[in-house]
Amino acid sequence: MAAQVVPLAQLKLPLGPSPVTAEQRYWKSFKNQKSHTSTASWPISHISFPSASGATTSNSLVAAVKANDLFAVTSGPRVEIFSIRKREPLKTIGRFDSEAHCGEIRADGRVLVAGEDSGKMQVFDVGGGTRAVILKTWHLHKQPVWVTKWSPTDLTVLMSASDDKTVRLWDLPSNNPSRMFTGHSDYVRCGAFMPGGNSNILVSGSYDETVRIWDARAPGGSVLTFKHADPVEAVLPLASGTTLLAATGNAISVLDLVAAKPLRLITNHQKTVTSLALASNGRRVVSGSLDGHVKVFETAGWNVVSGSKYPSPILSLSVIPTGATQEDRHLAVGLQSGVLSLRTRLSGAVADKARARAAEEAARDIGPEALEKLDLQKAKRKRKALTNKSMAMLGENVDVIIPTEATNATGGRKRRIKLKPWQRDFREGRYGAALDEVIDMSGPEYQPVTALTVLVALRHRSALREALEGRDEVTVLPLIKWVGKYMSDPRYVSVCVDVAFHLLDIYSEYVGGSADLAEQFQMLWGKVSKEVEKAQMAIITTGMVDSLMIGGIWDQ
Amino acid sequence: MVSKAPHVNGDAAALKKRKREPKDDAPLSLKKLRSKAKPKQQHANSDESPAGADNPDVKIAGGAVEVPDVPGSASAPDTSSSLQPIPEAGRDAPAPWKVSNPMGGRMLDLDPIFSPDEAHLIITYNTSLQVYSTADSLLVRRIPIPVSRPESGIELASAHIVSTVLSRGSLEYVWVACSDGRIWHINWITGAGADTPFTIEAKKVLDMTVESVEFGHATEDVLLVLQKLTKASGQIVAYDTNALSTKNGKLLHTYDDSPQLLRSSAGGRLIVAAAKESIHIGLLKTRNKPLERLDDLEYRFHSFGATDIITCLDIRTTFRTTNKGGSEIQSVDLVVGCARGAIYLYDDILAKLPSGSSISKASPIQPRKYHWHRRAVHSVKWSEDGNYLISGGYETVLVLWQLDTGKRDYLPHLSAAIENIVVSPRGSSYAVHLDDNSTMVLSTAEMKPTTYVSGIQSLVLGDRPSKESLVRRVWKTVDEISTPLVTASSPLHPSQIFLSVGNGQQATLGGGGPSTPLLQAFDMSSFQGVAKHAIARTNPTDANITSQGLPIIEPRVTKLAFSQDGKWLASVDEWQPPDRGVEPFLTGSKTPGDVCQERREIFLKFWEVGGEENSLELVTRINEAHYTNQPETIFDLVSDPTSSRFATLGNDGVVRFWTSRLRRRDGLATTGPDGQQLRSWACSRAVSLPAYGQQDDTAEHSSQVPRSGALAFSEDGSILFAAFGAASEAVVVAIDTSTGSFRDVVSGMFKGEVRGIKALSSCLIMLSDEVTVYDIVSDELQYSFGLKETSQAAKRLTQLAVNYKSRSFALVAPVPNPSQEKMRRGAKSELVVFSIDGPEPRLVRTFPQVITAVFPATGSTGFVVVDSAAQIWSVTEGAEQAPLLQPLADLGMADGEEAAPQDLVQDDGEASDEEMQDMDVDMDVDMDDDYETHQAVIAPQRLAEIFNTAPAFAMPPIEDIFYQVAGLFSTKPLKA
Repeated sequence: MAAQVVPLAQLKLPLGPSPVTAEQRYWKSFKNQKSHTSTASWPISHISFPSASGATTSNSLVAAVKANDLFAVTSGPRVEIFSIRKREPLKTIGRFDSEAHCGEIRADGRVLVAGEDSGKMQVFDVGGGTRAVILKTWHLHKQPVWVTKWSPTDLTVLMSASDDKTVRLWDLPSNNPSRMFTGHSDYVRCGAFMPGGNSNILVSGSYDETVRIWDARAPGGSVLTFKHADPVEAVLPLASGTTLLAATGNAISVLDLVAAKPLRLITNHQKTVTSLALASNGRRVVSGSLDGHVKVFETAGWNVVSGSKYPSPILSLSVIPTGATQEDRHLAVGLQSGVLSLRTRLSGAVADKARARAAEEAARDIGPEALEKLDLQKAKRKRKALTNKSMAMLGENVDVIIPTEATNATGGRKRRIKLKPWQRDFREGRYGAALDEVIDMSGPEYQPVTALTVLVALRHRSALREALEGRDEVTVLPLIKWVGKYMSDPRYVSVCVDVAFHLLDIYSEYVGGSADLAEQFQMLWGKVSKEVEKAQMAIITTGMVDSLMIGGIWDQ
Repeated sequence: MVSKAPHVNGDAAALKKRKREPKDDAPLSLKKLRSKAKPKQQHANSDESPAGADNPDVKIAGGAVEVPDVPGSASAPDTSSSLQPIPEAGRDAPAPWKVSNPMGGRMLDLDPIFSPDEAHLIITYNTSLQVYSTADSLLVRRIPIPVSRPESGIELASAHIVSTVLSRGSLEYVWVACSDGRIWHINWITGAGADTPFTIEAKKVLDMTVESVEFGHATEDVLLVLQKLTKASGQIVAYDTNALSTKNGKLLHTYDDSPQLLRSSAGGRLIVAAAKESIHIGLLKTRNKPLERLDDLEYRFHSFGATDIITCLDIRTTFRTTNKGGSEIQSVDLVVGCARGAIYLYDDILAKLPSGSSISKASPIQPRKYHWHRRAVHSVKWSEDGNYLISGGYETVLVLWQLDTGKRDYLPHLSAAIENIVVSPRGSSYAVHLDDNSTMVLSTAEMKPTTYVSGIQSLVLGDRPSKESLVRRVWKTVDEISTPLVTASSPLHPSQIFLSVGNGQQATLGGGGPSTPLLQAFDMSSFQGVAKHAIARTNPTDANITSQGLPIIEPRVTKLAFSQDGKWLASVDEWQPPDRGVEPFLTGSKTPGDVCQERREIFLKFWEVGGEENSLELVTRINEAHYTNQPETIFDLVSDPTSSRFATLGNDGVVRFWTSRLRRRDGLATTGPDGQQLRSWACSRAVSLPAYGQQDDTAEHSSQVPRSGALAFSEDGSILFAAFGAASEAVVVAIDTSTGSFRDVVSGMFKGEVRGIKALSSCLIMLSDEVTVYDIVSDELQYSFGLKETSQAAKRLTQLAVNYKSRSFALVAPVPNPSQEKMRRGAKSELVVFSIDGPEPRLVRTFPQVITAVFPATGSTGFVVVDSAAQIWSVTEGAEQAPLLQPLADLGMADGEEAAPQDLVQDDGEASDEEMQDMDVDMDVDMDDDYETHQAVIAPQRLAEIFNTAPAFAMPPIEDIFYQVAGLFSTKPLKA
């Protein structure tokens, strides 16, 4: 019956021109950047992690992928193997004669394949030992091999693409390619297996500005060709198997394979797009470009949902998932400057653990008392968990278990909302004190919108003057400063004007006695004059535009 | 004005031509001029007015609306108590319209009464007594009390019930005293006695108590009545039944203080009367022989001063057995609540009274003081065991004082100020009457409500001043109704009405208009408040007054509309700071009014209506939907009858259409926590209305002219009619809703401010200082008539409602008390129902209170009327049943009073349940076995729904109907 005491609701201001969206928050949560510079600052040309897809993939393979902890980073004549969990390099494969390309770990995490400038393709064992053993070498390509990829479904099948304009399909035991696709008229710099099917369908992109689809079952050349205006730098088939992305020059083209037509051209980047990657279980696409921008697209309307800037041109990127749900963990970006940037998003239990560690560190900084308090809290939580657990053990003999804590109807713990000091002051009518607390711009919890909330609430309660009255020089100055700071914000101006009027009305008589006060009022006057000037300029501009518009109407 | 031009499509030249036409072409407007002129000539002789069918000049005498002379209607407006429908309004009227009995009302500031077995609660309303069952909160019986007598003049219009007391002798009776000296003896189980009051000679009755006194060997009810002699003196007179009929009471005491309250105790052995600042205690003089007659009653009075103005008091008497076997008073504890917030406790008052001389103000008795309340204590009561005091007031906090320890317990943040507290006879529960027209029964053990009765919480014109106003306050009380009640009805819930209400009557006091931040969903079929939502800012848990003691003004909901599918609710609320303390803002030539206008907050809000429990979720808030250099008033908000679309018209002369769309963020549809798609509302089209009639004026000037406007969608939603402009210059623009272009412009239809516009088939019904019905297709004025010249306040309350089902519209206009400008107490209202076919009114009725809202009943052919006494009336056509709740007891009775005597045999408080079985007498149920089961409560309109679905020849098979009816009666009753 009785209403519950709730804190003052924060004012909801109109959204600004670019409000922070949930998606942006998500991509912002990739933090804890860890930079790893490659030997001799070789540019990071490729980042890959094992993945398995397709309906025919065996369960054990999927399980192996989920348990995987490795990803490979190719830079110069080296392929480095990193641990996903530790974000640290585990081992380095340096047995290349020239620059390495496209180091790819197989889905089961045992072997790695990489091509190199000499045209060689090598398969390494990454399982045990610090030195990787070469398991297989092919030297059939006569030009640098840019693409070596494992089939997502078949452990022994892999593909390669080379500057010799060919795309080849290999079987691991045999020394010759099982199929060679010719048709490209320039370097083939990117390629991939299409998901689904039995690793029969391949896609490749070339500097001849075409994207070609190859079918191993069909004799002859490509089954489908898309011609673009720029060399193709990257191709990325979506999980559906019917849509394909190709990075050509500054643009990314979205190709529909079923309708055999381009769907869209995404032109958000300013320079050549170098790499594409899937994220969020295939619901987002991440692109990196030489302009140093990483952009995240949603896959329905291909709108940019988020983006970030890196200090150097981006050559490669990947969003590395972990765990059973394959949720995004690292955003790995390889830069021209040789820096591998790893940004990590923690979630669930991992995040909890990280938070606990941070709290402990903070407490340690404060002093032993805080540490003790933290320990007490921890012990209490543990005890409670134990009690509830032991109650659950009793479950066999009893009918009803009553947990130690009362729960409300929704199942959550019923807890009184604890009011913050300013909220309590406000509720109990100490308006001046509440206002002092929220306009303290140096305070740890300072937020301008909270101050605005309080001021508007004071106006609603006709208590604005009451809160401003009876102050001395020390307490009135922050108010004037605050008003001066936010006077120019259109969302704050109305309240600022009211406060300023009241302040002038109450305190103008003391200006003569206080230099500080006089200075602050002077500052306020300056700000207001500037705003008036701006407004006049705006009016003049409006007038000019209006006269132009009228002129336009007359012309018609 | 009757232009011959065909439809034009937004062509500016054509618009101008049409607009000028009425000015240039005088003969065309003759028809209308005639209608304005004639009533003045014919004002004196109303009978002469010919009621020709083709004559648009119409009038009636006495009413506010001048409508054609109708047989029977000339006398109708003044006989407000006759509930007979006007016989046969039009000659060709197919079915007569009728007005139901009113339901609901406002609970008076009187203690609710528990029946001795606590099964029923008797609540005194301003025009009735209502008996509720405490087990399920259902209305058992409504006993109308004819408080305002039709023959009475204006000075007696303020007659009101001052006291309702349960009879001590026969517990099924209550005594009800009215301030004009009428006293009813009503059997609350049957409702008998409401028509036959006793009348006593008294200038004004202030209070009454009842005691059963033993005369000889029989006990009889003795009424102790506090009467006002002059402004500052009163007398206490005792009556018994015999004395009531002979009007000769026994004068017990006269005193020269302004009298206020009267309480008695212990079988009449003790009387306590509170004057403004003194207390008079009367003790029955002990006699050697027993009392024989009323004249033997004699009291010895003591009086002593109180330190404050007394607002309420309670007595607790303890008895001890005398050695003769009788009982005598051992001690009397008196507790007094005061207007400035203090509670004074007089322990064992009898011992402290001077024994000898009767009246001695010399020796003040020192009470114990308990002070927590900020303002007047509205009610203070002893708990059953005497260990606690229970008090309540404006703070909305029920305070329990533990007397031994001085500890206080609180039940804080109730929904409104506490008016009355009653401890049940067994002491196991409290009945708390709150200011928002609700009463609840709280169990003392858990402080949880077990019964909740709530009525319409709209503003009423109070009968007597609040207890707060005994002390001078910085605010003033509500004494007029200045704005119509904002209502809406949802297509999803035909039986519910939605009203914008305030936090009770007293919270709406204060400067400016009343604040109504809440939306009350009220079910007319069960006659209970269903829910209350805050749709504007409220502060239920904060202090509700400023540090200067002024109430905090909350926003006022000015418009409400449900979308056609009932899934969305749009609301407009306004808030403007009070014009006190604005001096610092006065720069240049600004007036305080300007300053407040600039700081106005006007919000247009869109709410999503949730499933069964009627939850509302705010989806979109538009801060300044209409804006020039300051927020502009939104004149009207209408909902498209064919799609989920709203339209608003503001003072900036722009019509905005609002539609919902999927909420997108970066092209992605945003989803709620459960994955449901979120929608938001935005302006889909803005149409600037042409400023006709002001072309000569400069732009600066025109913005100063007060303008008014209204909107109406055509029935098919293809055209939106927007009336907008300065007084008498408003034009109606027909806007094509699909393209936004102007289809037609009609000018010169309004005289004075635009009050409303409605579209009904091809006709536009326009309300300003006159009512005009204009056929937009044939471009022809159908008829028009002027409203009587009234005050500005009265004009604001004229309203129009259209029922599409019966093709009729209702017009409501207040009839102000001739002696006053504003809509205060004593003002009446008139309702006229027209059919679209002709100018003859189908119904003309004067209501004894000001009508604050009229709207069409959803899914029916009638109208619903809400008046300033918080009563609901249903105006229905023909045989259709009013969609109102009937009290349980009424449902059982075949035909009104004829059936009543049979019900008298029920004597044990279960009357309601058993009476209802009359409904199905044929079933011959053994009542004793069914003691615990409730009979199904069937609103009559539910039956009508079954039987009136089709004409007799097209009815479903009789078997189907049987099962439908059986289904109705076999459903479980509503649980409280």
